[in-house]
Amino acid sequence: MQSNFSHHAKHLLLTTVILLLPALAAASSSESLSVVPASIVMGAQYNGLDLTVSGTVPADSEVIVRLTGAASELHLREKGKVFGLLWMNVGKVTLSNVPKVCLINASSPLELLGKAAAPFRLAALAKGIGIEKDGGDASMDIPHQLLLLKTKEKLYGESAQGITLGPNEGGMRPFTAVIKVPSALAPGEYQVEAISVHNDAVTSHATAAIKAELVGFPKWLSDLAFQKSMLYGVMATVVAIFSGLVIGLVFQSKGAH
Amino acid sequence: MSLTMSLYLPIAGNSVNCLAIFGLGGVVGLLSGIFGVGGGFLMTPLLIMMGIPPTVAAASDSNQIVGASTSGTLAHFRHGNVDIKMGLLLLIGGVVGGTVGVQIIAVLRKLGNADFLISITYVLMLGFVGGYMFLESLQAMRKSSQPKTEEPQRRESLYAKMIRIMPLQVDFHRSGIRLSLFMPFFLGILVGVLAAIMGVGGGFIMVPVMVYLLRMPMHVVVGTSLFQILFTCMNVTVMQAAQNHTVDFILALLLLLGSAIGAQLGAKVGKKLGGEHLKILLASLVLIVMFKMLYDLLAMPDVLLAYAGGH
Repeated sequence: MQSNFSHHAKHLLLTTVILLLPALAAASSSESLSVVPASIVMGAQYNGLDLTVSGTVPADSEVIVRLTGAASELHLREKGKVFGLLWMNVGKVTLSNVPKVCLINASSPLELLGKAAAPFRLAALAKGIGIEKDGGDASMDIPHQLLLLKTKEKLYGESAQGITLGPNEGGMRPFTAVIKVPSALAPGEYQVEAISVHNDAVTSHATAAIKAELVGFPKWLSDLAFQKSMLYGVMATVVAIFSGLVIGLVFQSKGAH
Repeated sequence: MSLTMSLYLPIAGNSVNCLAIFGLGGVVGLLSGIFGVGGGFLMTPLLIMMGIPPTVAAASDSNQIVGASTSGTLAHFRHGNVDIKMGLLLLIGGVVGGTVGVQIIAVLRKLGNADFLISITYVLMLGFVGGYMFLESLQAMRKSSQPKTEEPQRRESLYAKMIRIMPLQVDFHRSGIRLSLFMPFFLGILVGVLAAIMGVGGGFIMVPVMVYLLRMPMHVVVGTSLFQILFTCMNVTVMQAAQNHTVDFILALLLLLGSAIGAQLGAKVGKKLGGEHLKILLASLVLIVMFKMLYDLLAMPDVLLAYAGGH
């Protein structure tokens, strides 16, 4: 009887361990996911940066690393043909829950990584976006056009470059990914994800949060522009007039010689 | 050692190359100083091409025009080329016209197809103004190159008769003309309405209006136009900063350092060029912008979505 109970207990423990394995693997990857620098500091000299993401994944897997975040509302104009001849704004489009940035790097071309990679690609991102249209062509593929617009701005992108994989060490191997963070990054909360896939299945998924924040003079100026906007406007005008006068006077004195 | 010239602009939300922005300001300022136009119709599209959001590009451009037109007005004032009385009347008319124009555009938007009307107005105005100025200046230059003959007695046109009989006639000494006070006021309203509909400062409409309808000498036109633009853009800058938070002061400062220097050089270049040369060059510039706009209207864009705002 006791032996039977012990057998059932062992069986239950084994089942639990098997069921929890992916989660444990993910948890272990999550712990080992490192992002350098730990935060994106946007001072006067900020001009984009290289974000280095490193961690470990199961040895036989490919890796996808992506930076997403700072979801916001977007107000756009839809272009269409008027009288079959002229291209101009024909409608308004308001999109909600649009990540400002979605940069995806993979260790192999994403097309070759199968259906496990599909939910992490740009095309899948478009599915979560809310669309409100006022006028325009009802048949237009708005998500596709949004991806084209953001890709043109270099805020969205898919690349099979920038990831290096290390040697197999006990069934796991290290990876290092370099994500080129653009200069047109808005301050806010971003998420770095490292997903490993093998045979159409996700084998691990680790995440890390990263914050982009204004510091120094840009922060002071931004606070002034948004919190004391009238004062900011008057200051901008007065400084412009003063600068114009100074340059005018400098030219006058040069002209006098 | 690498010297980075990039600067992060918190309102525009992007970093820019300081030298590129300074150079852009210089070129547009040069044109502004020569022709007395604000240059918004050139600067804003170029800033958008450099990665600045359209709304920020338009508002920051207004801010830099404040500096450039201050410098330009000062330079022209020293040469005696600013008709303050005329400028103030045009300005008052422009403010009234701008307010009316904003209401018109609101009604047009409700009726639909407002953007179509704006684009067509833009292309037609640019085409008409540019084409007329170009042909007229070309004719004048040809005449001046021919040996001088006895000036034929000009018959007074209906328009000339009309402006002569209008009430409240006053002398505009700087411009050397006598006109009714209503003329600059009503023409200011007209330009204000058109500028509001088209979403521009209106310098390139105001200059031909002063030359052909108010019959002011070209050099006084340029100085007076800059004087008027200064006040228009001061108002726009404060309003845009207070309501839309779209004025990037640092971007504007970089642009105006370039453009204020450019405007000073422009005023000197303009002085050396003859009035007809000035007109034909401005006409060419207006026509180039018109053809670019026409191309944008006819060619299919790469992306069928665009950010709201801008000119």
